[in-house]
Formats: sequence, C-alpha cells, structure tokens
Amino acid sequence: MSAPADPHRTHRIAGALRAAAADALAWTDSRRADFALGEDALASDGEVDRSWKPLGELAQVCATVARLTEPADPLHARARGLLDFAWQETHEGELFLRLQRLEPFATYPLEVYSVFASAGLRHPAFEQAGAVVARTRGWRLTEQDPTRRLGVLRAEERCGIHRFGQTPPELPQTWLGGLPEPWTFGRDAGYALTHVVFHLADWGRDASALPPDLAVYLRDWLPPWLDTCLEAGLWDLAGELLAVAAIAARTTGEEVPADDWRRLLAARGPSGEVPLNDRDLDELAAGPGSDGDRYFLHHYHSTLMAVFAAVLAVTRPAGRAAPAAAGRPGGQGAPS
Amino acid sequence: MEQSGTSTRLQAAVQDLASGVVSALRGGGHAHVVPPVGTDGEAGDLALAAVRVLGADALLPGLLSRTPPDPAELAVFRKAVEAYPPRGDAAPTVRWSHWAMARTLRRADPSSAEPPHEPDTAWLDGATWQVLTHQLAVLAPLALPGEDCAVSRLAAGRPVDVARGFVRAVRRRDWRQAAGAGRWLTLLPGVPDTVGLDTGLDFVELMGGQDPLVALQVQAARRMRTGARG
Repeated sequence: MSAPADPHRTHRIAGALRAAAADALAWTDSRRADFALGEDALASDGEVDRSWKPLGELAQVCATVARLTEPADPLHARARGLLDFAWQETHEGELFLRLQRLEPFATYPLEVYSVFASAGLRHPAFEQAGAVVARTRGWRLTEQDPTRRLGVLRAEERCGIHRFGQTPPELPQTWLGGLPEPWTFGRDAGYALTHVVFHLADWGRDASALPPDLAVYLRDWLPPWLDTCLEAGLWDLAGELLAVAAIAARTTGEEVPADDWRRLLAARGPSGEVPLNDRDLDELAAGPGSDGDRYFLHHYHSTLMAVFAAVLAVTRPAGRAAPAAAGRPGGQGAPS
Repeated sequence: MEQSGTSTRLQAAVQDLASGVVSALRGGGHAHVVPPVGTDGEAGDLALAAVRVLGADALLPGLLSRTPPDPAELAVFRKAVEAYPPRGDAAPTVRWSHWAMARTLRRADPSSAEPPHEPDTAWLDGATWQVLTHQLAVLAPLALPGEDCAVSRLAAGRPVDVARGFVRAVRRRDWRQAAGAGRWLTLLPGVPDTVGLDTGLDFVELMGGQDPLVALQVQAARRMRTGARG
C-alpha cells in the first residue's frame, strides 16, 4: 500500500519546510540577546541549562544547517552568522578553557565545545587540556546514562581524543539500541531515542550512519510515536522525532511525513516560532522571570529543532536510499 | 452525561455476555454465554440485542474449541441474526458484523442458510493506518484462524499498519482498540517482531482487562496464538 512518490506533492512539502525553516531561524536570530552568555556563565553555581545549553543547541543546529545548505542559500548565511555569534560569545573558545579550570572533570564544556570544533571553530589549547583529562580512568568512568555517554564519545571524537566506532558499546544499553516494544514509548524514552540517533548520525553530518536494524525499527514505529506526540501537543518532542525521521529516511527512503509536518507547523506562533508544548501562555505567565524570558524558554528549543528537522528533510541527497530497505511491505507510512 | 436507562441496561447486558465468553475461553467449563431463549419481555429483547452487539464472538468459545454449540444458545444466536438485519444505510462495519454472525451461524449449524454475499471493503481503500486499525478493531470478530474474507485479506496486506495502530491505541490508552488490533496481529503474516505481541497483550489485559470487552479480545488472541503454534 505504499503510495508512489508524487513529485509535485514532494516539491510542495519541500517548499513549505524551507519557508518554515527560514521563518524559524529568523525568529531565532531576533532573539540573539537571549542566547548570549550572562555574567554567571563561569559562576560555580551558574545555571548551565539557562546559559551553555541554549548556546550549544543554537550552535549545533546552525552548524548542521550551514553544512547542509549551499553558500548562496539565505538559510546558510543566517546560520553561519548565528554560529559566529555563538563562537564570539565563548570568546572564540577561551571560556571553555576557563570553564575547564573550574570543573576539570565536567563533560559539558567538551560537549558544547565539540559543536564548534565540528564546524571548524577550534581552540587548540582547550583541546590539549581536554585530552589530558580524558586520559584519566576517572573521566572514562564518569557516571552518565548511556545516551549521554554516547554524546560524550561523539564530542571526544570531534575533538580528536577518541574514535567513534560504528556501533559503540553503549548503544545496546540505550532504550533505542535495545529495540524495545514500541508501545512502551513515552516522553523520556522519546528524548533518549532522538539523542541516540543524533549522536550516531553526528547531528546530520553522517546521517546515513544508522545501523540498518535501527533504521528499519524507526521506519516501522516513528509513525505512531509522531501521531501520539502531535495529538498530545508535545511539539518539541515531535520536532525531534521529525528530525529522526529525516535521518532514518536517508537509509530507508521513506517519504517526508507531510501530514505530521502540517500538524507541527500549525502550532507555530506569529513569527514562525514553535512552542515547547501546548501549555497555555497565560499559565506560563505565572512562572518566574520576565514575560520575554518565559516566552524564549518556552520556544527556543522547539524552534531550533523544527529548523534542524526541516533542513534535514529538504536536503536529503537524491538516490541515497538502499533499495533493499526502501518501502515497507504492509505499511503505507504516514498518512497523507 | 445523561444516558437513557435502556442504553445503560443494554451496555450492562453486553458486559455480562462478554464476561461469560471470557470465562468460557479461559476454560472455566462450559458457560452458557447466551441467555436462554424464551426470556420474554424487555429482558428477552435486551438479551437478544446484547448478542447482536457482541456479534459473532457470542459463539467464539465453541468455534475455537470446535465443540458443537448448545441448541438453546444456537437458537438465541439465530434469532439475533434474524431480528437485526442491517438497514440499507447501515455503516460498513454493521454490515460486516452481521455477515460475520451469519457465517458463524452457518459454521455452528450447517443446516442454516448460507451467509449472504460479503459486503465490500471499498470504505477501507486508501484508509490511513489509524482509520484502518480502528475499523479492524471494531470488526475483531472477523479475526479467526482459517477463516477468510475480504476484510481479513485486506488486513493481511497491511500488517505493519495494524501494528502501528496497536502501538497508537496503547499509547492513547484505548484498551478496546488495542485488544482488537492485538487479536488481528496474532493472525497476520509479516508483523515486525519488535512489536512484542505477547507482552503487549499481557500489558493491555493488565491495564484494561477489567473491561470484559477488552478481556474477551485478549483471551481470544491468546487462544488463537496458542492454536497457531500448536
């Protein structure tokens, strides 16, 4: 029952996704000040989730967009501009060195730095310092969940510390790597599985790197996960799942899930920003901080994920799908 | 929400009937799953309507164990088939459900009239996997080993879609739909192993099994699965 690809329909979806990515990235650009590192970025009690995490996520999505788009593409120029902005925020990497002196065995400085390194923005002194720490048994034994551990391994690989194998030993320990019953999916499992895919595929740099059994598993089960997340208004997770779908499609050849995309895009705010979930904005207003802060925190990540997913979906190299894996007998994929 | 007394009583009668089928399927001896014929008045009408609502599954225990039905039960079942023919404008699921009863009647009593021609499956042409699974779950009484019809052939062509629908139903805590889809999955070739159907049926029973209509489908699925392996 697989519907044959309709070139006109595919073209229309690609146009809509491209426009959505452009709007979402423009909104992101308009919020540069919210991504800027504050005074507390180097404070011992600083809130990493409010400082380094958003900046690193901005850098990661922009690095992927810049890599996957042509220099003449307006998306490319904007992504590159935002990436440079983020790099300047780190004082061209100097702050990573200072962070490491404060917390030598914390992994997040290397994880965030590696995003820049993968885009060619490097700080050799930090890399040397990171390599010294990474040689210890203590670093290798840092207690982290297996999904996070994959991220650290990927960061080490990007910084030339270790090689990232095709099937790292941590993979079977992750929810996704164990191929669990798909009906045990939930929000936490969802975020874990998307990140396993992102780390394996190096955030789109090597999107065809998924082991074939994972690609098949994802092709089979992404449709009900997407459907139920969209129904529940989990826009942020739905955006991540759409990115996973775009990555898996490079192996399986599945079409862009147009109906799921339509539902996500319908949830956008006035400037193309995507909310985290469907919580009422009035309810949000009751939280701490200024209105602008709350709005930013409720939108920035899901908006970045929508950009990431849309660009992955529209920049799929032609003819990359392995014919044996393409199409699924007995499945029609996402509804159209 | 206000419900009419008749509707509530009918639902209760359907639940009772389903509970009887479940205990018979579990092997708790021969249970009289269909109320005795000759129950007059409203109670009789209600019992008959309940058999029509539960459909062909009212005789499922005997069908799966290949034991001849109790003549009294058969009489009530026959009466329900005759009393509720589908109207001209009936939904496809209603037509199919009635057809399934007629087929079951013929199996249970070969002297019965041949079942009418199968309705068509045009309404499922191009159905999304969500719609397909919902409709198949409503028509779970058609999911029987060794029994072929247009709906089962259509389902056999879309095993991954039905499995996706099962996952969706569990995620939405729609236990009746999950149980009905699970019953179909036990019969379909080409269902991905990763779906984990055995633990899935256990989970659906754990979460929704206090509803006899859920328990009936889970029990039917298990019986069919055991039969398929044996």
